[in-house]
Amino acid sequence: MRHAAIIGTGQTKHTKAHDDMNQAELVRQAATRALSDAGITFREVDAVVLANMELFEGRALPEMWVGAGAGGYLKPAIKIATGGTSGTSAAIAGYHQCASGLFDIVLVVGWEKHSEGATQTGMAMVDPLWDRNVASGAVGNFALSISQYVAERGVTPAQAAQVAVKARRNAAKNPYAHLQMPDLTVEQVLRSPMLADPVHRLDMCPQSDGACALVYAAQGIAEKLCARPAWVRAAVTRHDQPYIGDLDRRLVTMRTLRDAARAAYHQVGIVEPRKQIDVAEIYEPVSYAELAWYEALGFCAEGKAGELIDEGVTEMNGELPVNPSGGVLSSNPVGASGVLRVAEAAMQVMGRAGAHQIADARVALATGYGVYAWSDVMILGADT
Amino acid sequence: MNDDFVTAGVNLQFSYAAGAAASRFLCALRDEQKIFGARCPECRRVLAPARSFCPRCFVETNEWLEVGPGGTLGAFVAPPFAQLLEPTLTLALIQLDGADTALVHRLGEFDAPMLRRGLRVVPVFAASRRGHILDLAYFKPVELDNAHSI
Amino acid sequence: MTELLKISHTMHLEWRYGVGASFHEFIAALRARAQLLGRRCPSCQRVYLPPRPVCGNCYVELRDWVEVRDTGTVRAFTIVHTPIIDPTTGARRPSPYTMALIQLDGADTTLNHYLEASDPTKLRIGMRVRAVWRAPRTGLLGDISHFTELTDE
Repeated sequence: MRHAAIIGTGQTKHTKAHDDMNQAELVRQAATRALSDAGITFREVDAVVLANMELFEGRALPEMWVGAGAGGYLKPAIKIATGGTSGTSAAIAGYHQCASGLFDIVLVVGWEKHSEGATQTGMAMVDPLWDRNVASGAVGNFALSISQYVAERGVTPAQAAQVAVKARRNAAKNPYAHLQMPDLTVEQVLRSPMLADPVHRLDMCPQSDGACALVYAAQGIAEKLCARPAWVRAAVTRHDQPYIGDLDRRLVTMRTLRDAARAAYHQVGIVEPRKQIDVAEIYEPVSYAELAWYEALGFCAEGKAGELIDEGVTEMNGELPVNPSGGVLSSNPVGASGVLRVAEAAMQVMGRAGAHQIADARVALATGYGVYAWSDVMILGADT
Repeated sequence: MNDDFVTAGVNLQFSYAAGAAASRFLCALRDEQKIFGARCPECRRVLAPARSFCPRCFVETNEWLEVGPGGTLGAFVAPPFAQLLEPTLTLALIQLDGADTALVHRLGEFDAPMLRRGLRVVPVFAASRRGHILDLAYFKPVELDNAHSI
Repeated sequence: MTELLKISHTMHLEWRYGVGASFHEFIAALRARAQLLGRRCPSCQRVYLPPRPVCGNCYVELRDWVEVRDTGTVRAFTIVHTPIIDPTTGARRPSPYTMALIQLDGADTTLNHYLEASDPTKLRIGMRVRAVWRAPRTGLLGDISHFTELTDE
């Protein structure tokens, strides 16, 4: 094993519908931007990892279709398909390929074209032997877990709405974000239509078209190509049992995220996350989830997530900014959403986050989430 | 149903963006009954159907040119599985004049014994076209000894 | 400026799933007797619904069947206003409707199912509910139409 770092990132504008590009072209735009940011050409790439799922795009072997768009000609290329965590799983797989010593430079690209079809229907295709006939979809499932979380932890709709406000206001500083709402208020969130009690439309992430890519380079090469590489300090994955009913109060306990964070923090020597992490890009499909993740990630004690958002700790100018990019709540091209968390965390460490840069970001956390409770945690740092 | 199997069906609807390049190609089929290729500035190959970038060189194509309309039959097959749906379906790889890539399409108006590699074919456009690859309905063989150059 | 085209496809896909030994028993009991069956882990004692071959926590094979009642307690619920597209029909499910996670008496896992209450203001975590059955039964979860409040215990 050797150290590996992210030396470049690229993304498309995330939007409701990219009718101007087909899927291969969308991937190509993100890939060429990442290669340019890394200062290399596609010829220097040794392996390609793609993030997407057949059901999302309705096309068998999407990696073959878009692989050329990622510069995969005559290269080893694989697709990772793990639902919402596809992007972070692909980011971790790319890191493994590079750190293993087998590939010096690895390109990771995730993408999504919600506008083209049946992503939501695909997600509703749960176990046909069991609960497909009663599937509630992503919003319904979250709302069920949120009702337990609210009952136990006492967070209020206004506190959740503040998470949504933070996200869309931050997104206004991110030229690639889908939902940019610099003047959004808590009242507007609470007045938006109710999707599934207590989740309002503006509490929920959008459905976006978009792609995001990042480039890994091995130690010895990364330093030559990049002034401030974002070194991978930890990469941890945890899965849980297959049915929502197997999980004990999912958002309250969220044991996969808890355990993944514990393992990652241990690897890096983080004992006080709020003090030792400079910025976090966490995968929050709904506002309430971000509050639950604060507790699972140890940013605050159990039951204190509401206070954390009330006190502004996670705002851009707070002690631990969470999702300065706007997060999944602002841009959700599902196959790319996980790659975006890692890319945005890397941009912070590399000093390339532009208007949403957090000053002196040396340690960045990125997480991925997938139905029902899959969790990925990565920690990137300015040092190895 | 019995205790051993559960059948589950699903209906999925998709509407794929062709992208600007493929849209231009398909509009040319629909409006001009012309087939376009695009040239890669690095390897100089003409890719048909025209597309926005060359997969080998990873650069944008920069020159659009008409290819065919005639071409040469490469391989052909009457796929047994597909014929369950469409009994007369025969697919072919066609090297259009001026193109460096082969087009997969259907053959029509032929007798099986006449099919061979190297046979000259020409496109037949659909009477009603909508900006779809099947605006090219099929390719049909031409007899070379009719002394018409295609 | 080129007209931007979209190419449409509709797919109807069908699968025929082998249910396996666990579900075979479950389906038979449900259809014949309206009896729900769970499986208990010999190591952690957790009773799983649906039944399955292995305990995810202990990675121990599950063999013991446990009768689970069709009454239980609501552990979570939500009123869904914006429904999903039913993947089997391609049609939107009419809304609003209520979903709940119900812990059936005898099981340690919860069941995701519909909930109807004569008075929606009575919906709360902790309420006692019972299944409302359909006829004829097929042996799958759809045999339960929904859950409703349990009035006499």
